[in-house]
Amino acid sequence: MKVSLFEQVPYRYIPEDFGEHYSSVVTAPYHVVDPARMQESLYSAYAELMLGARSGFDGIGVTEHSQSSYDISPNPTLLAMAVACAAQAEGLDIAITILGRSLGKTREPLKIAEEYALLDCMSGGRLIAGFPVGLSYDANLNGAVPAIETRERAREHRELILKAWSASEPFPWNGKFDKYGQVNIWPRPVQQPHPPVWVPGGGTPGTLRDILRNDYAFTYLSWDGPKLVGRGVFDRYWDMAEEMGRDRNPYRLAFLQVAAVAETDERAEKEYASHLLSLYRNGLGAIPGTAMAVPGYVEPAAIEAMLRGGGPQGMLARMRTATYRDIIDAQVAIVGSPATVADQIEAFVREFRIGNLLIMLQNGTMPRALAEKNISMFAEQVLPRLRPIWDDEGWVNHWWPQAQGKGNARPTASAASGTTSGGEA
Amino acid sequence: MAANAAVVRDEAVQICDGRLNLHVKVAGEGSPLVFFHGLFGLAWEPLLDQLAGQHTVYAPEHPGTSPGDPRAIDEVRTFWELMLVYEELIRALGLERPVAVGASYGGMVAADLAATFPLLFSRLVLLAPAGLWRDEAPIPVVEMVSGPPERLPKYLFAHPENPGARAIMAPPADPALIPAAIAQQAWNIGCSTKFAWPIADHGLGRRLHRVAVPALVAWGRQDALVPVAYAAEFGRSIAGSQVEIIDDCGHVMQADQPEAVWAVVSKFLSA
Repeated sequence: MKVSLFEQVPYRYIPEDFGEHYSSVVTAPYHVVDPARMQESLYSAYAELMLGARSGFDGIGVTEHSQSSYDISPNPTLLAMAVACAAQAEGLDIAITILGRSLGKTREPLKIAEEYALLDCMSGGRLIAGFPVGLSYDANLNGAVPAIETRERAREHRELILKAWSASEPFPWNGKFDKYGQVNIWPRPVQQPHPPVWVPGGGTPGTLRDILRNDYAFTYLSWDGPKLVGRGVFDRYWDMAEEMGRDRNPYRLAFLQVAAVAETDERAEKEYASHLLSLYRNGLGAIPGTAMAVPGYVEPAAIEAMLRGGGPQGMLARMRTATYRDIIDAQVAIVGSPATVADQIEAFVREFRIGNLLIMLQNGTMPRALAEKNISMFAEQVLPRLRPIWDDEGWVNHWWPQAQGKGNARPTASAASGTTSGGEA
Repeated sequence: MAANAAVVRDEAVQICDGRLNLHVKVAGEGSPLVFFHGLFGLAWEPLLDQLAGQHTVYAPEHPGTSPGDPRAIDEVRTFWELMLVYEELIRALGLERPVAVGASYGGMVAADLAATFPLLFSRLVLLAPAGLWRDEAPIPVVEMVSGPPERLPKYLFAHPENPGARAIMAPPADPALIPAAIAQQAWNIGCSTKFAWPIADHGLGRRLHRVAVPALVAWGRQDALVPVAYAAEFGRSIAGSQVEIIDDCGHVMQADQPEAVWAVVSKFLSA
């Protein structure tokens, strides 16, 4: 299987009681920030991603959040580009996953098409293109998109971007939300007709059907806790895949999991617990529930079904007050010795048929030195156990980029050596 | 002053070349009156019974808010198309110069219809209408709609404890109906905020001078959603309009001060 290092970009010095007083998004007060510490927080994320790239992870991943204290990543393509270029310079063969530019928020979908294409070129065809609808607070509050238009906009933008990537001639676009006389972006992605598409989502039937119909990879994030909600979501996905005539290729499913590794289970809890809790209490748990579903973002039938089911079943809705034990029991985070972490991940990977794994190893206030320890230990002692999991079934990962040379290679050099990937470093 | 509860019937009207099916609640007898509801959707409230005692009241449900047809909202792409939808609806209903009454978001709709189509209505009643914006008098629709539900009453009422306010905020008596009611209410807000997000200013201020019928602009002095500061601007912009400020009254005027509101509205309509 493929394992990438995923990072959010939190401000690592968020006050301990932040979540009791403030929202971590939209209105998060900037006066809590020390500019030097902000700079350090941002750079640390880059440095840790590079460490991951050098340590044997198959890829790196980032995503988009605006006006947020827990993920300062208004345009993840910028950070990903820095990593992609450095990886090229060092000859590291890593996939670059943007888990998503928010398609429901953007008012310039062609900018996303262009920036993704540029990144795909500069990385030598190693981009995985995340196509999320976008979170409600980001699209509707930060981006001021009327909530009821969010999904429709996302659909139109995805269609436009895919067409812009592969069209051989300039074309006009007369959409409901966007109108262009001449669409003719430069560059086009190296990977044609388009880079692999991963769609992060909550796993509603409509989203899953759309993903399977288009042969994208469904990407699920562990915030709600795989123990609590995983079975329902993944069973639905594989059942639906079968109904729709798709195979059971595990690479159709990507999953993001928080983990923390130390020498022993006890030491892992001691070293990581407070940092994990800071993410949940002051980051994700400090997003007001109402900001995650501005009226109009969710269809009435889905709201009604959720309420009839007794309200939200996952951890996300109660993260603000969750205890460390709650987090661990629900497997929102997997923490412990290399053996503990590998056992737990391997178990749910096999159970749910997950082929592409994103692992998040820096969380909340975790300082760079500790994050680097976590990354190194995971790479050395957990990753080797995970990588061969699906080898015996012989599936092809169609949702992994088809690297086509080193971005920094001169055409003659690349032709002469026949190199198709930069993995020799 | 309490009016008898009117017998209300539902009329479905197809417009937009068959693409849009609008539901209109109809009650009463007499000359036609169209009521444009606020952000939260149509509820048959006591004010409508009062109006139905003197008029045939037509209360359209905003596109998308009729149960069972949520995606009807997608047929109305822009505020301009919303104007065309209502103008077409009024013709389809065969109404000749009806009175228009609009509250809050519905006030913005009614005011812009009257400005866009100066011959559409015979009279115009605006209860705390949205539609204008000045930075010094912000209208916190985004904060209200995306904030915790328990803060809702403070935006809407001067007296959340009054029976009128409590009736509006009360969940259905049958607990089995509560999930559907909450879901419908959220969707209703989504449908109306489509044209009020994040700022309900479609340039109405540049068109209000076109309103050519007698107009009443009524406002609650304690309005915490659409500040009373806008009353004067509506009054100034609509020639010959009458402005009434009601004391001890919040945004949902007919709930906070039903008698005072009915007094000014009924007097204006019977003049």
